[in-house]
Amino acid sequence: MAPEDPVTVSPPPPPPPPTPSLKTKIARRFVKSLAEVWTSRKLATEGGVRKRARRIKIAAYSSMARAVGGSRRAWSRALLAKLQGRAKRRCHLRSQRCLGLKRKRAGSRNMVRNEVSGSDKLRRLVPGGKAMDLCNLLEETSHFVQCLATQVKVMQSIADRYSV
Amino acid sequence: MDAPIVNESSFSAANPSAYSLAEIWPPSGDPGIVGSGGPRAGNLDGSAEESTVTEQSGSGRKRKDANSEDESSKRVSSSCVLGSDLNNSNGAKRTKIAGSRDENGGSKVEVEANSVACNKLSAEQSAKPSEPPKQDYIHVRARRGQATDNHSLAERARREKISERMKTLQDLVPGCNKIIGKALVLDEIINYIQSLQHQVEFLSMKLEAVNSRMDMSPALDGFVAKDLMSQPFDGTGMMFASQAARDYMQGSQAQPDWLHMQTGGGFKRET
Repeated sequence: MAPEDPVTVSPPPPPPPPTPSLKTKIARRFVKSLAEVWTSRKLATEGGVRKRARRIKIAAYSSMARAVGGSRRAWSRALLAKLQGRAKRRCHLRSQRCLGLKRKRAGSRNMVRNEVSGSDKLRRLVPGGKAMDLCNLLEETSHFVQCLATQVKVMQSIADRYSV
Repeated sequence: MDAPIVNESSFSAANPSAYSLAEIWPPSGDPGIVGSGGPRAGNLDGSAEESTVTEQSGSGRKRKDANSEDESSKRVSSSCVLGSDLNNSNGAKRTKIAGSRDENGGSKVEVEANSVACNKLSAEQSAKPSEPPKQDYIHVRARRGQATDNHSLAERARREKISERMKTLQDLVPGCNKIIGKALVLDEIINYIQSLQHQVEFLSMKLEAVNSRMDMSPALDGFVAKDLMSQPFDGTGMMFASQAARDYMQGSQAQPDWLHMQTGGGFKRET
């Protein structure tokens, strides 16, 4: 590289990309929420390992859903709704110690197991997939897979960076 | 391969007046596909009507391998260009819909849908007199021995859509290209999504372990700052002082735009 004159000539700053790529968007949001989780003293010490890991997982999913524009996609809407519903329920549980709500999930899980077909499984995996016809389901799935793969890459990079 | 042309030499077709395919393909989906075959129709029939033809790489066509989905817009434009040549080069291979219409001279209007087969068409839709191009009817050629009523047509269109989406999904999921069969592909996709979700879980545990092992808050701020700046580091953008952050910065000068890496697993270790 030719040496540059520090005073006069400086390379023009690269033009900002017209729209940030999916990876950039997801990375930004995730890093922000991760920093939030990490720096909050209260959360850092309480609970067990699983609870803390779950918090990070929730941060990952919610940042992913927000990065694509919270309500633009059916799956992101459903995902955010699910996370918020769970957060509410968790607060509710903690405050009231009510065990009645917990049985709801177990019951529905047992019921479906026998009649599982390809598209049913897919509907369960993709958030918001239950109330969609197959055509939309496939489209949402493709977008969801794309974002999920990007999210995993981002998380992998961060973990690689900071681990020994 | 230049021509998206249909090789229909045995079309039992009719004169085109106007036909459109607006309903099968939503207008926002493939804008390049719908083209106007004005000159073509004009040449053949002597009328100057506008007609829109959609040229798709039909599943039953001989030329399907030659064409790729991405070139649909190119094909359309080239088809329009070739329209005037069609009458001249009227070999069996290059006969378009319009060309075959010449033979019959009826007053029917056809539109070739995606699934129309090449040879031996058996049925056609009702004729339409000359009307403005925007129709709400879709005139479709049916395969031999297949029903042509509205329900089957809608079914067929729906199935086409679904198989198209399955194809895009196959491209996304690594290793899915070789699998044939809808059910197996679906299984593969489901496995992939499940593995991704497990990876998220595992990585979140790992990140939590990282956090509990060392106090990285200052460094992470630097991470975030770098992220937000999204510019290559040159040493002057330093706004953090912790050791780890400095390591990161020094290491990252070799590859400042790690975020823009295409290969996820290729992240270089800095230390």
